[in-house]
Amino acid sequence: MIRFQARLVLALVALALAPALPALGAAAPSDDAGAAPEKEEPKDRYLVVVGADIHTGKGEVLRDGRLLAKNGKIVAIGYDDFEVPGLDYDREVPAEERGYELEIIDASNVPNGRVYPGMVAFSTSGLLGGGGDYRDSIDMFNRNMLLGLASGITTTGQSSSTAKLKRYVPNSAARDYDFDGVVIAGKTLSTVSWGSAASKRSLREKLSGAAAYLRAYRQWQIDVKKDKELKEPSKSGVDSTMLSVLRGETLARFSADYQDDLSGIAKIAMEYGFRPVISGCREGWVVADELGRAGAMAVLTPRTRRAKDEQLMAAGGSSIENAAILHSHGVQIAIIPGSRGIDLGGIAGRDIMHLPIEVGFAIRGGLPEDAGLASVTTVPARLLGVSHRVGTLEVGKDCDLIVTDGDLLHYQTFVQYTVVDGDLVYDKQDELYFAHIRPRDDSLLAPLVPFDPAEVPIEEEESEGDSEEEEAEEE
Amino acid sequence: MKKRTTHLLLFAGLMALQPTAQADDLFAVQVERAETVSHGTIEHAVILIEGDKIVMIGEDLPIDIGIPVIDKDPGWVATPALVNPYSRMGLSSRGPSGLNPQRKVSGELYTGDISKSVLEAGVGTVGLYPAGTGIPGRAVAVRTWGSGDARILRDDVYMKAMMRSDSSSKKTWRKGFEEADEHKEKEAKNREKWEKDREKLEKDAKDKDDAEKANKAKEELKKPYVPLTPKPAAAAFMSLRDGELTALIGISKSSDYIHFLDALGEEDVQWSLHVPISRESDLFHVKGQETLKGRHVIMTPAFSYHPGTLRRRSMAAEFVEAGAHVAFVPTSDSTSAHESWLRDVGQLVRAGLDPHAALRGMTLSGAEVLRVEEHVGSLDEGKHANILFFDGDPFAATTSLEAVLMEGDFITGEVNR
Repeated sequence: MIRFQARLVLALVALALAPALPALGAAAPSDDAGAAPEKEEPKDRYLVVVGADIHTGKGEVLRDGRLLAKNGKIVAIGYDDFEVPGLDYDREVPAEERGYELEIIDASNVPNGRVYPGMVAFSTSGLLGGGGDYRDSIDMFNRNMLLGLASGITTTGQSSSTAKLKRYVPNSAARDYDFDGVVIAGKTLSTVSWGSAASKRSLREKLSGAAAYLRAYRQWQIDVKKDKELKEPSKSGVDSTMLSVLRGETLARFSADYQDDLSGIAKIAMEYGFRPVISGCREGWVVADELGRAGAMAVLTPRTRRAKDEQLMAAGGSSIENAAILHSHGVQIAIIPGSRGIDLGGIAGRDIMHLPIEVGFAIRGGLPEDAGLASVTTVPARLLGVSHRVGTLEVGKDCDLIVTDGDLLHYQTFVQYTVVDGDLVYDKQDELYFAHIRPRDDSLLAPLVPFDPAEVPIEEEESEGDSEEEEAEEE
Repeated sequence: MKKRTTHLLLFAGLMALQPTAQADDLFAVQVERAETVSHGTIEHAVILIEGDKIVMIGEDLPIDIGIPVIDKDPGWVATPALVNPYSRMGLSSRGPSGLNPQRKVSGELYTGDISKSVLEAGVGTVGLYPAGTGIPGRAVAVRTWGSGDARILRDDVYMKAMMRSDSSSKKTWRKGFEEADEHKEKEAKNREKWEKDREKLEKDAKDKDDAEKANKAKEELKKPYVPLTPKPAAAAFMSLRDGELTALIGISKSSDYIHFLDALGEEDVQWSLHVPISRESDLFHVKGQETLKGRHVIMTPAFSYHPGTLRRRSMAAEFVEAGAHVAFVPTSDSTSAHESWLRDVGQLVRAGLDPHAALRGMTLSGAEVLRVEEHVGSLDEGKHANILFFDGDPFAATTSLEAVLMEGDFITGEVNR
C-alpha cells in the first residue's frame, strides 16, 4: 500500500516545499563524510499520516486525506502529493544513510481510521509524574502518561502551567529529550472564590479598585501626551490578580454549581466586563441565558447526577441537557471527567482516560457533536492559553494528533496511534495495555479469521448501548 | 606467549631459590581451571604466588623443584576474590543532605570494622560510600580485614551523587560546576594581578637609585605564585572535570537518568550508575542509551517484573546485552547477604545471564568502579593474591567455597603448604 502511494507521490514532485531542498542537500554530504559531529545539527524529522479521514477540529473532514509534519509542526494537510524533494517514502535508503528522520503512519490498516487533533485535558493529576516545575521533574517513562496518550490526551493543564505529555520516544536513544518542549504555557487562570457574603463583598471591592485604577491609568495615558511630567497613577492597594483579570491577562476561574451563585457570577462579570470561567456549573442550564450574555465559559462534568434542593421552588439540580442548553446560549463548554487522575481499580469509565465517554453524556443530552469535540480540544486549549499551538489540525500548529478506529466520541473507539510534536509516542499494538482488544489485522494478536464490525447486526449493538445508558440514568 | 611465561617462571624460580628467606614466601597452586576474568579461562592453571602478589599464572607451567605446590588438579576452580563496590558495612547510615563533595568516608573508618564472615564468604575488597542525600561525599576502597586506616586500598574512589527527577537535585549538580567555574575565573584574575605586580617588581628591582627597594623587590620576585584555595565543592568538581575524581550517580528510575544527562549537559565527566532493582523497576527503558555503553552500573542480583505484569525481567542480563558493565552488590549489607551473594548471582546466571559477565560483575567491574583494578579484581601477574578456590563451577548450587586466599594468606581452607 505504502509502496504504491509512494511511487505515485514521488512521480509528482511538488515544489511547494522547495526551500527545504538546500537544507537536505547540505545535510547529505556531511553525513556521507561521517566526520561531522552529529549533535551539531539535528536531523529534520518528518511525519506523514496517510490512509485515514482527517477531522481537523474546525469542522472540515478530509476523506482519506494526508498530513505532513516537519520538526513537530504541521506543514501541510490535504489531498495533494505535497512532497519534500528527496524524501524517500519507499524507505529504500537505509535509515542511517538518510539525512533526515521519517515516520510514516499508514492508517489504512485501521478499520474506519480517523485522524483527530490530540485531546486537551483541562486539568489532570499524575499524568506527568513529577510535581512543581515539570521541565525538571517530568517522568517521561511514566505509566500514567502512557495511559493518557493511549486515551488520546496530548496536552494537559496543571495547577499553574500547561504541559504536553511528552513521552520518551521509544527507540530514539540517539536524540536528546526535548525538556524545553514540556511546559508550553504558564499560568492563565486566576482562581477566584465565590462563597460567603464576605468573600463576595471583598471580590467586589477588589474589582472596583482595579477598575478605578484602570480608568485613572487610561486618563493618564491621554494626559501624559500633553504634560510629560505627569506621574503614572499608583498601583498601591490595587489587587494585582483582579487587575490581570480586567486587563485580560488571566481568566477568572470560579467554582460554582448553584443557580444563584452562577447568576451572581454572571452579573458581576458583566458589570466589570470580563469573561468568567466556571468549573462545575451544574445548574447552569437554569440560568444559561445570563451566563451566555456574560460570555461565560464552563468546565463541566456532564455525568454528574444531583437532585435539586427540595426547598427550591424553581427548576434545579443536574440535567443531562446542561451542556446542550449552555451551548445553545453561547456558553463555551470544556468537559472533564469526575476524576482527574487515572484509576486502575474500582469503577472504570469515570477517570481521565474516558474523556470521550464523558463527552458522550453531553451528546446524549443534545450537545452537537462538533461542540462535543471542541469541549476536549479547542475550548480547553483556549482556557489554558495554548490555542495558538494545539486543539486543531492546522498548518503551522503543533503536530499533536491521534488516529482512532472510528468516531472519537463512540464508546467502543480505541486510539490506535498518538503523535506529540511530530513524534509517534503511542502505538496500540506496541504497548501491552490494549493490544489484545480488537487487534489490527497486521498484528500478531489478530485472529486468523478477520473480524468485520460491519457484519455485526446494528440493532443488537444499539439496544445494548441504550440499556446501559438507561441503567446509568437510573442510578 | 606461553614460552615467554615459562621462561619467566624459571627465572623467578631461580631468583626465589637463591635467598632462602624469600623462598618461604613463594608457593604455587595448581588448579583444574582458573577464571582470570581479565583474560579468559585457563585450564590446568598454575598460579605462582610470592608474598602478597601473584607473580605468574599460566596453563601447565613447569614448577621448579623446591617451590611448595598445592596440587588441586583435578578438583578446584580458582576465581578472583569478590569486590563489593557499594556498602556501608560497619558504618552509621546517617549523613548530611545537599552539596558536600569534600566529605570522606575514610574519616569514619574508626567507627567500625567488617565482620569476619564477609571475608570468609570470599569478599576481599569493599567500597564504602558516603551516607546522605544530594552529593554526600567520597567513597573509600578498603580491605575486608584489619582495622582502621590500615584497611585502605585507595581513597577518594568516587563521589556519590543522588539524582532524582526534581529541580533541586539537578540544581545541586549544576551548582557544583558553577562553583568550579567561579573559582577558575577568580584564579585567572588573581594570576593576572600577580603577573602585573611582578612586572612592577621587576622594574623596581632594576632601580639603581634605591638599592634597598631593589633588594626588597628581588626578594619578592623569588616567591612563587600561590594559587587560591578553592572552596571544597569547587575543588571536587574541578577534579571531576580533570578526571581525578569519578562520580557514582544514584538513580531510582529511568527518568532520573534522563534528567541526569540533562543536568550534566556538555560536561565531560567520568561516571557510573547505581540502580536499585525494585519489584517493578522501569530501568529497562534506558538500556538502549548510547551513553550507557561501557559504563559501569551497580545493581543488586535481583529480578524485577515488567510494570503491571508478572513477566519477569532480568535487568542485569539486559544491561549486559546493551554493552554496560554490570557490577553486582549483595542484596544488603548483612553478612548473610554476602554469604548468599554468589547464589543470588547464580540465579541470574541460570535465567540467562552470561556467567563470565556475572563473575566479572562480582570482581573486576567492582574493582574498576573503585579504581583499584590494578590491585584486585582479576587473576593477573602483579596483582594482589586474592583468590577463591571452589570445588566446581562457582555459580552451581552444589559448589562450595573450599579455600579463601587473601594477599597470599589462606583465610579459610588450605593452610598446609
